[in-house]
Amino acid sequence: MAMRQTPLTCSGHTRPVVDLAFSGITPYGYFLISACKDGKPMLRQGDTGDWIGTFLGHKGAVWGATLNTDATKAATAAADFTAKVWDAVSGDEVLTLAHKHIVKTVNFTQDSTCLLTGGNDKLLRLYDLINPEAAPLEIAGHTSAIKKALWCNNDKQILSASEDKTIRLWDRNSMQEVKTLTFNTTVSSMEYVPDGEVLVITYGKTIAFYNALSLDLIKTVEAPAPINSASLHPEKDFFVAGGEDFKLYKFDYSTKEELESYKGHFGPVHCVRFSPDGELYASGSEDGTLRLWQTAVGKTYGLWKCVLPEDMGAENSEQLYTSTPEIKA
Amino acid sequence: MATPVSVLRLPKGPDPNCRGFDPNSPRFIALCRTSIVTSAASETDAEQLPKEQHARSVLRESFLRCLLSMTNKKVRFHLHERVKVEATFGASDIDVLNFQVSDLHTPIGVQKEALIRCQDVISFTFEA
Repeated sequence: MAMRQTPLTCSGHTRPVVDLAFSGITPYGYFLISACKDGKPMLRQGDTGDWIGTFLGHKGAVWGATLNTDATKAATAAADFTAKVWDAVSGDEVLTLAHKHIVKTVNFTQDSTCLLTGGNDKLLRLYDLINPEAAPLEIAGHTSAIKKALWCNNDKQILSASEDKTIRLWDRNSMQEVKTLTFNTTVSSMEYVPDGEVLVITYGKTIAFYNALSLDLIKTVEAPAPINSASLHPEKDFFVAGGEDFKLYKFDYSTKEELESYKGHFGPVHCVRFSPDGELYASGSEDGTLRLWQTAVGKTYGLWKCVLPEDMGAENSEQLYTSTPEIKA
Repeated sequence: MATPVSVLRLPKGPDPNCRGFDPNSPRFIALCRTSIVTSAASETDAEQLPKEQHARSVLRESFLRCLLSMTNKKVRFHLHERVKVEATFGASDIDVLNFQVSDLHTPIGVQKEALIRCQDVISFTFEA
């Protein structure tokens, strides 16, 4: 019997959710952070969507949020011209890094000792978190606002996407530009998959996959609507994408075939990411919600429960929801 | 007609009264409770750090060995409010949050089996 996807809606934000990130897998499970225009980024348990805490302190929309691998630290980028580093266990603000304009993106190195930031002042900044009073190293080159910046190649290089319609690869030691990709339009999102060095880029209705070291194109896939974000499954058999038509799309990575599409959000999807174990993916939308979607629909995982036909109608003391009540944004 | 996947419950939403980060969660208790802060948090001295880490390992090992050697022995616990109780030590849980004891002598009687909350203990002594 075919099973229909039941997305889990995480409410709490009061404005559009513009960015989200998962941590790695820790002894306490994995975690999810969401950036929201309401200025209050939230930490959630990754496999259930349960709210853990809200990072309070920013005075403007939060455009970017990230967690370090073991989810002990969080970093956020905001319209109040600061990036902040937080203790992700206690929720306390640890560091405020003043910038000269709106900060859009933040990213930790694998050992959490260095924080990369980028924003509307067109500069990439590298902050040494062990000596935070020291001035950050600055990399100039982009001619317009930076939307996304990521560490890659074992934190030896940096990838940045900008409104100047380029993606640039930089060497950390020399601080020089190594390679540039130019597009006809601004790239809407960028995801880096370290295992296999794959870069996932979205622009227009296209989802493009590049080799992250050489910036050689691997393949492109066209979606039915303009796409704002895409994510590749850790095992590289699927990828998911979401955009302006409010739907989530699931594609087969090898065949490029569109496998499924899911309705659910009440506004454009701004960000979508697979969990580190690939069992679910999370989407953030203009409607102010995050939704969690199962990769294998019907499987018992997190809050989803596989109910076999024989069990239907049997006495069950557990209350099971068969359709989630829709919460209007 | 496809059946929608069943769900145990909906994800928990934010508490309107607080910012969260429950101090009683296992993660908070395990990761936030360092009574002795590493010197790395304030000034960095690359030479000091390995020495300090070694000292921490030695202290931790001797504490764990102490817990091992306490098994089935009579231990006297000094608790808050000047309370002293004696019991036969059983085991500690992995995060050293609770001690399982037997024959706990309290001011109001003897409890055959009990759990002592470690945060209530100031110190304990026993004959090795």
